[in-house]
Amino acid sequence: MRRPQEIASEEQSMRTIVSLTSAFESMSSMKIMQTKGRVLISNQFFDEVWNIYKQIRVDVLFNFGRQEGETAIDKELLILITAPGGLNGDIDQRLIRKVRERYDPEKNDIIVIGHHGAMQLEQVHIKYEKFFDLPKSDNINTDPLVAEIRKYARSRVFYQNYISLSEQDIRDLDLGEVVSRMGKIAEEESDPEERITERTYIFEPSPFAVAAHLETSILRLTLAQFIFDSRLAQLASRFRAMSAAKDRSDEVAKDLHTQFNRSKRLMVDTRLKESLAGLKKIRAGNA
Amino acid sequence: MPGEAGTAAAPAATGGETAEQTQAQTNGKPTVAVKIYAPFRIYYEGAAYSISAINATGPFDILPRHHNFLCLLMPCDIIVHTPQGVKIVRITRALMHVKADKVTVFVDI
Repeated sequence: MRRPQEIASEEQSMRTIVSLTSAFESMSSMKIMQTKGRVLISNQFFDEVWNIYKQIRVDVLFNFGRQEGETAIDKELLILITAPGGLNGDIDQRLIRKVRERYDPEKNDIIVIGHHGAMQLEQVHIKYEKFFDLPKSDNINTDPLVAEIRKYARSRVFYQNYISLSEQDIRDLDLGEVVSRMGKIAEEESDPEERITERTYIFEPSPFAVAAHLETSILRLTLAQFIFDSRLAQLASRFRAMSAAKDRSDEVAKDLHTQFNRSKRLMVDTRLKESLAGLKKIRAGNA
Repeated sequence: MPGEAGTAAAPAATGGETAEQTQAQTNGKPTVAVKIYAPFRIYYEGAAYSISAINATGPFDILPRHHNFLCLLMPCDIIVHTPQGVKIVRITRALMHVKADKVTVFVDI
């Protein structure tokens, strides 16, 4: 049996971990609420822009805002949206696992957003072309990423999807397909009278210029949506990880406290036994 | 800037209803519903007598009963003449959509 002082010191350390994980848990919960609100507001903006874009589409072939005659690298670009740092549970590891199932160095190039994902890729010896930090502020500048996407024939985004506080999913979507699929649905559903055409609208500078600009805008907004969704999922994953860590460390602390009491009682009992034995010896000597 | 050169296409009534039936007014003057916003910020939302901005063609104004209009704005100050006074919003990149006396400016897209 270990000494009570040793156990007490270990229990104290464990209580500190309980406090720390509890603080992280509360912070994550607060940030989740904030981010959720932000995502809802940005979704409203996105929906309104999308609503205009889908009505002025002339074809359903999304070409990443490339000009006519602009050639693209005949590879699929994989864009990984990961966390900026650790303490987010296993969500990034799950994403990297999913990427590895698809990755072929001959057919794919990789761009990573988030430092943690870059580190995870290095650990499994997968090279990436570029790395971007996950933006901390709400104003996400996706222009550098859009410039990279335009160079490639196809692009696929791997991101973390928030389902609920206890469930986060890893998803991968072809960027071109996302937009054209939504465009097809919109074309089937939209009222021909509501469509934005040269007959019903004045365009400045021209219908083509507006459509081309909106195409790039939609791409920017879609990427921003993915980043926000990932950020929310990472926070939820952190909350889950911290809750589990807090529960575990609390259990360990309680267990250590029981051990401490036992050890203390054992020490008292041993001393009592020793005293009694000494007393018996003294009495036996006197007799 | 009402009356300046480069003013956008002449206002025209759209739809089957008469303008008298549908036209929103404030202090007896016709107005348009304006919303100028970015993904995380609303710069202005409310009624306005007119809204002025600059596109590739030049400065222009939107007045009530303007024709449906979709335009890319140049970096400029958007001037909104509201019943409460003039409101100025500085933008670098925006898209303006006008339909049925509703003006929406999507900033930073």
